[in-house]
Amino acid sequence: METNINFEPKIIAFVCNWCTYTGADLAGTSRLKYAHNVRIIKLPCTGRIDPLFIIKAFEKGADGVLVSGCHPGDCHYTSGNFHARRRWILFNQLLNFAGIDNRRVHFSWVSASEGRKWVDVINEVIETVRKARPFVGYSKMNKEYVYNE
Amino acid sequence: MKIGVFVCHCGENIGKTVDCPRAAQESAKIPGVVISVDNKYTCSDPGQNMIKNAIKEYNLDGVVVASCSPHMHEKTFRKAVASVGMNPYMCEIANIREQCSWVHDDVEEATKKAIDLIRIAVEKVKRNFALTPIKVPVTKRALVIGGGISGIQSALDIANAGYEVVLVEKEPSIGGHMSQLSETFPTLDCSQCILTPRMVEVYQHPKIKLLTYSEVEKVEGFIGNFKVTIKKKPRYVDETKCTGCGLCTQKCPIKKAPNEFEQGMIKRTAIYVPFPQAVPNIPVIDNTVCTYFRTGKCQMCVKVCGKEAIDFNQKERFVVEEVGAIIVATGYSLYKIDKKPKDSPIKGYGEYGYGIYPDVIDGLQFERLASASGPTAGEIKRPSDKKEPKKVVFIQCVGSRDESKGFSYCSKICCMYTAKHAMLYKHKVHDGEAYVFYMDIRSGGKMYEEFVRRAIEEDDVKYIRGRVSRIYEDGGKYIVKGEDTIAGIPVEIDADMVVLATAIVAQNDSKKLAQTIGIPYDKYGFLNEVHPKLRPVESSTAGVYLAGACQAPRDIPESVAMASAAASKALVLFGSDMLEREPTIAKVNESTCAGCFYCQKVCAYNAIEKKEIKDRNGNFVKYVAYVNPGLCQGCGTCNATCPSKSVELIGYTDEQIFAEINALATL
Amino acid sequence: MNNLYNIAKDLFSTNKVDLIIGYKSIDSRRTKPIFVSSNEDVDHLVFNEYSLNNLSVYLTRKDIKKYNKIGILAKGCDIRAIVQLINENQIEREKILIISKKCNGVVKDFGLEYNEENIAEKCKSCKVRTPKVFDLMIDSEEEKKLPEPTISSRVNELDSMTPEERFEFWRNEFSKCIRCYACRQACPLCYCERCIVDKNIPDWIESSPTQRANFSWNLIRAFHLSGRCIGCGECERVCPVDIPLSLLNAKMGIVAFKEFNYATGMEIGEPTLVGNYSNEDNEDFIK
Repeated sequence: METNINFEPKIIAFVCNWCTYTGADLAGTSRLKYAHNVRIIKLPCTGRIDPLFIIKAFEKGADGVLVSGCHPGDCHYTSGNFHARRRWILFNQLLNFAGIDNRRVHFSWVSASEGRKWVDVINEVIETVRKARPFVGYSKMNKEYVYNE
Repeated sequence: MKIGVFVCHCGENIGKTVDCPRAAQESAKIPGVVISVDNKYTCSDPGQNMIKNAIKEYNLDGVVVASCSPHMHEKTFRKAVASVGMNPYMCEIANIREQCSWVHDDVEEATKKAIDLIRIAVEKVKRNFALTPIKVPVTKRALVIGGGISGIQSALDIANAGYEVVLVEKEPSIGGHMSQLSETFPTLDCSQCILTPRMVEVYQHPKIKLLTYSEVEKVEGFIGNFKVTIKKKPRYVDETKCTGCGLCTQKCPIKKAPNEFEQGMIKRTAIYVPFPQAVPNIPVIDNTVCTYFRTGKCQMCVKVCGKEAIDFNQKERFVVEEVGAIIVATGYSLYKIDKKPKDSPIKGYGEYGYGIYPDVIDGLQFERLASASGPTAGEIKRPSDKKEPKKVVFIQCVGSRDESKGFSYCSKICCMYTAKHAMLYKHKVHDGEAYVFYMDIRSGGKMYEEFVRRAIEEDDVKYIRGRVSRIYEDGGKYIVKGEDTIAGIPVEIDADMVVLATAIVAQNDSKKLAQTIGIPYDKYGFLNEVHPKLRPVESSTAGVYLAGACQAPRDIPESVAMASAAASKALVLFGSDMLEREPTIAKVNESTCAGCFYCQKVCAYNAIEKKEIKDRNGNFVKYVAYVNPGLCQGCGTCNATCPSKSVELIGYTDEQIFAEINALATL
Repeated sequence: MNNLYNIAKDLFSTNKVDLIIGYKSIDSRRTKPIFVSSNEDVDHLVFNEYSLNNLSVYLTRKDIKKYNKIGILAKGCDIRAIVQLINENQIEREKILIISKKCNGVVKDFGLEYNEENIAEKCKSCKVRTPKVFDLMIDSEEEKKLPEPTISSRVNELDSMTPEERFEFWRNEFSKCIRCYACRQACPLCYCERCIVDKNIPDWIESSPTQRANFSWNLIRAFHLSGRCIGCGECERVCPVDIPLSLLNAKMGIVAFKEFNYATGMEIGEPTLVGNYSNEDNEDFIK
């Protein structure tokens, strides 16, 4: 099992359009480098990010999920991120209780000016998920059951 | 569905890291894609023509452009597809530059990622709808927050164009910091002489409604249709009755309150007009010091007022104004370095003996000392013993450009006003000596450098490049110890007075105001423009514009320029009767809505209303949610909150996002 | 005397209700819901330790909503559901007449006699055995001490496992699910006109009872009940394959209380947990 520690985790990131997506753009404009494992899906606001997305991402084979938006007080839509935060508090603990390792689910505030932070967050998420090993427990649950590959 | 995919090399920007031909080939295999090609510069005319021709030739229903960030060229490409008859919302961007080629080195992995990003966009565009912008009416009326020079300029510009303006000022008078200044650089014009005519013009302008001693309490609505609640603080003086005769302020027995306008250097009465040229010239009662408010006795002002204008029973009042545009011009405040406020991350408090030594003063205090209308009638006298100081040390960059103890930014105006202060001092005290400690002299601006040279060369102000390490009192003198870094020697000056050019900081309530309006701010509390170069006076909230030092440290000409720019932005908005808005808003499925109204609870815009559903015979069936398309801003929080997904955000529907996640199933 | 019979008789004769939702005995250890719409059937009504069903589930039904004024027999726990339904705009307080009693717990399931060993788990930790919101109270025994609850220790037990073990535990439990949706039918707060699981564009939750789909379904249902579940335990009671759904709901109840000092359905007009926020909400877990 430990041999898999070097695998390349598949991460899906759900980010808001105004802060984190723009912050990720800034990382690019600044030519900062980070690991390639993340695929971004853009939403208008963290308020739009439904826990269903996270479950669906695991169903479809993601090893980890990142959810990111504007810092509290900076939401383009005033309070979308506050509502999101409350949802995440509940959902994060539910996932953990259901046995979905918290190392696979990450939340962050990354502003439009935090290109550097975006890079750090991504690298940290990838390393954490790598330690949690591939998550075939969810996607392959219908077939022969294995929690980790 | 017939989808076209266009992969842009962006010269080498994408092409160097992403194998664009291969990405195009792979994208051609995605079901629904009928043409997939790569191109050197897709945003160029030939590039755009390629898309247009393909739309016609292949009869495309949707287009995916794999290129730079949608924040860059989404509009460009949507316009291009629209020019050949495709609905612009049928064009999606796969961001393979900022979020792929620029952040990765490995060609193989970057190419794989680019293909995934294209796949996401293709799956989304397959589920896009043709959308048309929503049209909403525009209220041709503006709110200007802040009655300093910026707010005054914006208000006058808009009013002179023929539109109504509501100007809100939190102090009892308009005028702002500019009214406190003695003379202005680089011309040494008297500040009040150029400002007061504008203040009066505002007061008398038939199109300007002036609300002083008032604050913005709540902002609802959106561009073209704001509803603003303004709190009018009680003056305890009836503005409609008061003639401004000033008897009350002369007779008031309380004379010990610090005079804010004079920077606390003299006292004022409990009922007072902030300064002689105040607009409006109507006093206000400071209920924290007024004897009547403290003990229920006195009422001297009531006795002397012939107009019965004093009204101790005045309460806070709230007025609601409907406006189409908002200009924020709330200005700055000065970094007060005496006592460290609780929770302040800034460490430089208590430096240079400010707040301990009476003759260590800040720039605004010096302005008042130098002002003909100030506490010393323009004579430079030390606050402690009213003697004329013969040696004055000016210290620049107090708090500014100081990452370890203060603020990392440059306050921008201090180099200039320090030169002005030193010059004014030398003009008034001919045998005096003026020393300036500086880090660099930043005098970019028309006639600015010449102004500083004049101080040095004509007025013999001694500039010392270096920092002051310490100031202490010794035998009635302030010993200023520092270093001359050019000569490489320590310097010690026995000064009679020290003037600190303290940093320009954001107003302490700027974050609160920003949150009330719903606009972003930076970590210092300065309000953020949406684009630092190309849209410097617009906030990211449509219809809210910025002017003056609320956005960053600004001098007067810049503030005025910004104010006119912000006014012109508002006037552009007022130029049309209807405004087009993004059609990506929420929509309710009334048949499945159970009416729990969680959507209403999470909506920040009050866009969700209760709608009654009746059957064919007119009998009540149920209540459902209804989204007001004029108010919805399209955040989608309702969509995520709805347990049965009976409200969906057009353009980001569950089906679209589901498809995007699904597109990664093979990742 | 404020016995059930007198109260119900009086309500109908004074036209204070059009319908009473209550319980009827099947035998000495079983009851079933009964809908009484006139004086004649009042003598069927019982309210005892075999009155298991949370009758508030009927209040959101279209055929019940037709009545102008509905009386309902409700235990303290059931009343929390009624309160939550009011707070979620599903029913109007004025239309509901709550008839309650002090409660010493109900049996775990029908058929066995009520005694110390046979008391439903939810009752042991119940804070509203003497209800706070009601209209009429029938004469009832004073509260007596019930056995210590075990639910939180079961939650702790699961919490102390590794994520892998927990996942395995729930995978096993959920794999039994036959997607009969009895949990949803019995739940007073599952009142959606169309459940998310029945939405097919897109098909968020696969409808076939595969392990993966079952896992997702139960997870989403638990999430949708977070901060809304009042812990009546009806879902678990009606589950034909005995999935410990109360364990999930109890965990989320504990989270809601710990994070937000929130307990569902205690007060009419109280802000719901989801749908509101505080600037001080915990964000230690957010980078």
